[in-house]
Amino acid sequence: MTARFRATPYLFLLPAVALIGVFVVYPIVAVFYYSFTDYDIVRPPVWIGLDNFRKLLGDGTFWLALTHSFVYLLVTPTIIALSVCLAIVVNRKLRGIHIFRALYFVPAVSGSIAIGLAWRWLFDRNGIINGVLQTLGIIHTPIQWLAEPGLVLPIAMLLTIWAGIGYYSVIFLAGLQNIPEELYDAARIDGCSDFQKHWHVSLPGLRPQIVFVAVISSLAALKVFDEIFVLTARTGGILDSGVTMVFYLWKQAFTLQHAGYAAAIAIVLLAITLAFSIVNVRLLERREADR
Amino acid sequence: MTRPLSERGGAGEAAGAVGAVATAAVLEPVAILTGAQLRRRRRRRELAANAGWYVVLTFFAAITVFPFLWMLLTSLKGSADPIASVPPQLIPGHPTLANYQRVLDSLPILKFFQNSIVVAIAVTGLNVLVSAMAAYPLAKMRFRGREATFYLLLATLIVPTQLTYIPSFILAVNVFHYYDTLPAVILPSLASAFNIFLMRQAFRAIPNDLIDAARVDGAGEWRVWWQILLPIVRPSLAAVAIFTFVTSWNDFLWPSLMLHDRTQMTLPVGLAALQGFFSSDFRSIAAGVTMTVIPILLFFIVVQRYFVRGLAGAVKG
Repeated sequence: MTARFRATPYLFLLPAVALIGVFVVYPIVAVFYYSFTDYDIVRPPVWIGLDNFRKLLGDGTFWLALTHSFVYLLVTPTIIALSVCLAIVVNRKLRGIHIFRALYFVPAVSGSIAIGLAWRWLFDRNGIINGVLQTLGIIHTPIQWLAEPGLVLPIAMLLTIWAGIGYYSVIFLAGLQNIPEELYDAARIDGCSDFQKHWHVSLPGLRPQIVFVAVISSLAALKVFDEIFVLTARTGGILDSGVTMVFYLWKQAFTLQHAGYAAAIAIVLLAITLAFSIVNVRLLERREADR
Repeated sequence: MTRPLSERGGAGEAAGAVGAVATAAVLEPVAILTGAQLRRRRRRRELAANAGWYVVLTFFAAITVFPFLWMLLTSLKGSADPIASVPPQLIPGHPTLANYQRVLDSLPILKFFQNSIVVAIAVTGLNVLVSAMAAYPLAKMRFRGREATFYLLLATLIVPTQLTYIPSFILAVNVFHYYDTLPAVILPSLASAFNIFLMRQAFRAIPNDLIDAARVDGAGEWRVWWQILLPIVRPSLAAVAIFTFVTSWNDFLWPSLMLHDRTQMTLPVGLAALQGFFSSDFRSIAAGVTMTVIPILLFFIVVQRYFVRGLAGAVKG
């Protein structure tokens, strides 16, 4: 009887642990191994030591991808600022506010490929942005937005921000609703303006949500792929202008069949992500200590 | 004198209301205001006072909705309606469903739908079950290795999924032999550390006394879990299920690596194929996008409440 009781927790855990073991833990171990090999998926891997990593150091596209991924992180503070503002606006008890809240959420559920395609056509040579700018007389010939090397990344980032605001503002809205009303009353009595009220009460009150969103949106930014894939029609953009870490990983592994080399990129991505998470946790702890 | 009182609320509110009736009666001595009229009046005043907020809200909404609206309108454009013109034409002059017909004729969109539904339902059902199972001992049982298991699961949350794709691809081709079939997309999504984490939070909120009482009554752990705990955490189950469904429905990268045969594609993969197929035929692409967005939007409208509640609850954990 006791023996059976002891087995029970492990039986409950078994399916999840087995699945995560096969599809997460094993691949992480394997990707480490592959990163030290020359591997094209078809023939068996050949051990080459650190050659892949040495090659990475001299690979201009890799450095470009790394830079792009770091630039992409600028999405995080922008998203936080805008979605906190939006949350403050939709926190007002206005008639029909639920309809607005639902509307803002639409991009988050529509799927990255669908919204990516919509945006790709917004910025097409024949797209509506050119149409509007021409009508206003701001430009005279249509611009090939997504064929401009300097614009691919900013447009992708804009897309990520646009799609994310509604989603993240729901998190901030929940945070705002947990802040006791008395704090706002006290601020009002102290003569705070509307802006000061939010600066001194809402922002500190939203700290847990801000940390949470900072973590998940920066991890998402480091992993961006779908947006680039659709906006550049799976090319990565002219002169690799839109190539990010994951895009380069995908290109090396699944279009060029350089699985070993791609595994090395994956290891670098993992290292960056870990470093990032550690920094995030440290910041979180320091803030807790400040209290 | 009534004014500052009414602003404070409470008893003052009633006084203010009386005052309002009195003023109204003085201004319009002919009409005696009914409750409904008064309410309508207050609503109008409220709308006017908040007009600025509505302008802001509408502006954000317009930016959010415009790309979708533009897709919908373009998908209805006839061949005589220009795609690019100065000034741009928004409303189709010759509305037609021909673009939809063309998309349906050239790509098996309905098959994509069917595949997406099969994948999303299988992933959601099984993932929720597996996560709820794993979460119970992690929340409510004492056993060797509990902490280690929990932290190992948490650690996998940090790892970007994409870096598992190379070995997973090789597994799919060499070991499981399910390349280009739906199980290739379903199986790797059946367990999620994040969902286990959320369900663990839900189970932890249940008082131990309840579980102990059931155990004393002779219920085994499986019965306790299935008949007592699961019904209690139903709201969390719903939130986790909806999230998993939407994530699975929109998942692109892994399915695009696994599914190449047109009869096996899910919607996002098919949509990317559509972009390649119609390349510069914007009307057809718009029709394809509209067809894939509308069902998930309808789903979202139905389950909206749970979605928001789940997202809000995730942070507290």
